[in-house]
Amino acid sequence: MRFTIYQESRQGGRSNNEDRTTYCYSRDALLMVVADGMGGHHYGEIAAQIAVQTLADSFQREARPVLNDPFRFLQKGMTNAHHAILDYTARHRLKDTPRTTCVACVIQDNVAYWAHAGDSRLFLMRDGRIVAQTKDHSRIRLLVEEGMITEAQAVFHPDRNKIYSCLGSPTPPEIEFSRKTPLDHGDIILLCSDGLWGEMSGDMIAVALKGANLLQAVPMVLNQAELKGGAHGDNLSVVAVRWEDTYVEEASSAISTQTMSQDEVTTRLEEFGRNPAYKSELSDDEIEDAIEEIRSAIEKYSPPKK
Amino acid sequence: MAQQANQALPNGHLLEEYIIDRQLSLGGFSIVYLATDPEGRQVAIKEYLPNSLALRSKGEIKPVITSEHLGAFRYGMKCFFEEGRALARLSHPNVIRVLNFFRANDTVYMVMEYEHGRTLQEFIQKHQGHISERFIRGVFTRLLNGLREVHSNKLLHLDLKPSNIYLRGDNTPVLIDFGAARQTLLTDQPILKPMYTPGFASPEHYGNRKDLGPWSDIYSVGASMYACLAGVAPLAADTRMKKDTLPPAMMRWDGQYSDRLLEIIDWCLNLNHLYRPQSVFALQKALVETITPPRPKANPNWLGRFVEKLRKPI
Repeated sequence: MRFTIYQESRQGGRSNNEDRTTYCYSRDALLMVVADGMGGHHYGEIAAQIAVQTLADSFQREARPVLNDPFRFLQKGMTNAHHAILDYTARHRLKDTPRTTCVACVIQDNVAYWAHAGDSRLFLMRDGRIVAQTKDHSRIRLLVEEGMITEAQAVFHPDRNKIYSCLGSPTPPEIEFSRKTPLDHGDIILLCSDGLWGEMSGDMIAVALKGANLLQAVPMVLNQAELKGGAHGDNLSVVAVRWEDTYVEEASSAISTQTMSQDEVTTRLEEFGRNPAYKSELSDDEIEDAIEEIRSAIEKYSPPKK
Repeated sequence: MAQQANQALPNGHLLEEYIIDRQLSLGGFSIVYLATDPEGRQVAIKEYLPNSLALRSKGEIKPVITSEHLGAFRYGMKCFFEEGRALARLSHPNVIRVLNFFRANDTVYMVMEYEHGRTLQEFIQKHQGHISERFIRGVFTRLLNGLREVHSNKLLHLDLKPSNIYLRGDNTPVLIDFGAARQTLLTDQPILKPMYTPGFASPEHYGNRKDLGPWSDIYSVGASMYACLAGVAPLAADTRMKKDTLPPAMMRWDGQYSDRLLEIIDWCLNLNHLYRPQSVFALQKALVETITPPRPKANPNWLGRFVEKLRKPI
């Protein structure tokens, strides 16, 4: 695996940062998580912390060096995080459960798998364009999809921050899974909280990151978004990876180096000369015997005639 | 010596107890005829007649085999017998049945069942890239039943390709042409001429063939499925080993077929034989099992799904 990765979380204009991010990787698998603890409920940052911690812990246990089933891993990890938050609530006798959004992505064998609950997003960017992204679990998204309001209206809609799925809520989370997505060399996967995508559209981020060094370009994107967010801007968090392997080349190069030299020799050998056993004679008697043998086999194995 | 194509036996010719109706196909190694047996059933008869070693001129019945070529001719006959032996022991609805075997005209003949239908190759050419997943799964799942039977008899087909997969009227597949079949237990046997078809032959076919195994037929199955999607044969394995430019099915038909099917095709087409399904059973299992990605039940209460989130003080 070869990749460049960058993560950062900023407080913005808020009094505390309730966003949490993490990434971890084994030899052959990579996990990235962004969780956005929800204000309005207490201890949002605790819920977010529990979510990223739970996923990171199980990744460290299970990625040896690959995960058996990345989707199952994501499902289990997010469901466990949800229950861990509920347990925390009970243990500390909180009046209201802390809640968090969560988006998590696993990459292994050059295939990306992701899952999310809430409105933290994942973008897959290729050549400066968005080729895939998660759909927010928000009322506003449903309204836009049903054609009730336009994208432009959505940006200023008063309900734009209301979501119907998150970890820690008394109703179980609705976790949405991606398809298995093969990655190309240079693909960028970016996970972020709404503090970033609320200020800068995915398309703009994709253009900004195209061909750039993530370690420099991502902080610049955050600067811009923070500036736009102003004095009361939301927390902004991001984990971004540029994938340096290719689904196609990886598969071929790994194998061709193993088999090529050996095979080239043997192929050439086969073209020279003739097989010494080529002249082996088959006498008339042997032919008769062979035919007899085949006929008796046909007799023996054929189904009885009607 | 200039090579001429062999002449087929004339229509209406009486060959032992069979009447030749017409020639079905002409290969480098043999001619296949459609014939009628004494009970009036149609059968296919395969005549051993290697182009380079035996020549039948127009109007002749017996081919001319020069003494110089007799050794090689007889040696090739051994391979033909092997095909006969292989098939005679198999009795399976998805494998062609041998009905008789006899010697005539200084060569040998194999009589096989014949049914109306067409080869998968013809089907692919007709439907260029418009073959449904349902059809592919249906045909290959049943075809693998036949191939499993072949492998369980310690045989390998070694020349699996769409033109060797025959579809009956109801689209049930039949494996035909075991000309390259080999008993795996007798691997020290010399090979007259490596028989394989570029695009469908596995990388092991090209080397010294010591790595041939069920996984080699499985490569060919994958290549045949790939051909169903592409309309043409995939890139030959020897070319792929120098530089693999074959786009994985996962990328090429993303979204047009189920991920699982595309994944299975790519799995079969792994250049390293150890990374492919190791048995037909494993492949079949993957092909029939339905995988539904985990998806928690949606909360039935539409309004209940709405959790208030008041993050920004407005």
